[in-house]
Amino acid sequence: MKIKLNSAIAVLSALMALGIFAVATRAQQNTAGHASDFSSVEYFEPPHQQLMKSRLSGAEAQPLAGGLLAIKQLKLEMFDTNGVLEMVVKAPDCVYDTLHGVASSPGHLRLETGDGKSHVEGDGFLWRQTNSFLTISNNVHTVIENTAEKKTGL
Amino acid sequence: MKKFYFITLMIMLGGEILRTQTNAADAPKPARAPTIINSDRADFDIAARKAFYYGNVRVDDPQMKLTCAQMVADLPQTGGHINRIVAETNVVIDSVDEKGQTNHATSDKAVYIYNVQNGVTNETVTLTGHAKVENEQGWLTGEPIVWDRANNSLHAENQKMLFRQNISDVMTNTNSAAGKTNKPAASKIF
Repeated sequence: MKIKLNSAIAVLSALMALGIFAVATRAQQNTAGHASDFSSVEYFEPPHQQLMKSRLSGAEAQPLAGGLLAIKQLKLEMFDTNGVLEMVVKAPDCVYDTLHGVASSPGHLRLETGDGKSHVEGDGFLWRQTNSFLTISNNVHTVIENTAEKKTGL
Repeated sequence: MKKFYFITLMIMLGGEILRTQTNAADAPKPARAPTIINSDRADFDIAARKAFYYGNVRVDDPQMKLTCAQMVADLPQTGGHINRIVAETNVVIDSVDEKGQTNHATSDKAVYIYNVQNGVTNETVTLTGHAKVENEQGWLTGEPIVWDRANNSLHAENQKMLFRQNISDVMTNTNSAAGKTNKPAASKIF
């Protein structure tokens, strides 16, 4: 029982160590030492402290050596101060460096605007939490839905 | 500063390089195909709202296709309009007007600007560095060449132009036998 509790604390501590995720809202932990079906929420600073700034969720989170955290089925939602969903980031797999606030993966990533009208996807990424900087290394594909109707020719 | 309105000359010569479709305010707005951007690599500065595309950048827009080596776009707020794009190195823009005429532009750099000031929409594409615009009617070089998308005009400074005219068309209303020949079209340099 103590081992289970310690594992759960380790995973949740790692999540909280992401810096932005102040409140771990939900997590299930098994004997393998990893959390499943978890989510974690960060709130804005006052005066918007009642509003979610971001919500991180995933199917699994496995603590690794060196302050790393392996996350499966990552989903990161970011909101503005009006509570409107601005962006959703999804990645099947990624490793989060809790010490440096860096997430990376050789796998796929999809970033979608909150209104669902535009998205970016590609393979291999590096996300620096500290300055909100995302690099997609290969096969970058951006789709922007158009609303304007004017037609011109050059 | 001398400016030359390329569109005016083209119309005078019977070749309309630019066409505009002005929709009535209450006309239904047809859905447009999305703009697709592909590249080898990209950086997104979420805080600064900037997207940097590198390597084999290809933009496929309903109004034009653009290729270049690198491109920077200022990201709008959700639902907003992109207000600045800078494409650099081997910029190639191809567009097709409503007559189906292909227009081909090349330059070292292209800067797209969009903004609305006092209810007036400003939308321009400025080509610099070996800038050239070409279609069936001829070609134009200039430094810079400015395509005013809001007003559908194109002007250039330090320009050079070539207009192609079919001799048989020129001779249509004459009694010359030349109008009945099968000679290939000739170009006329201005």
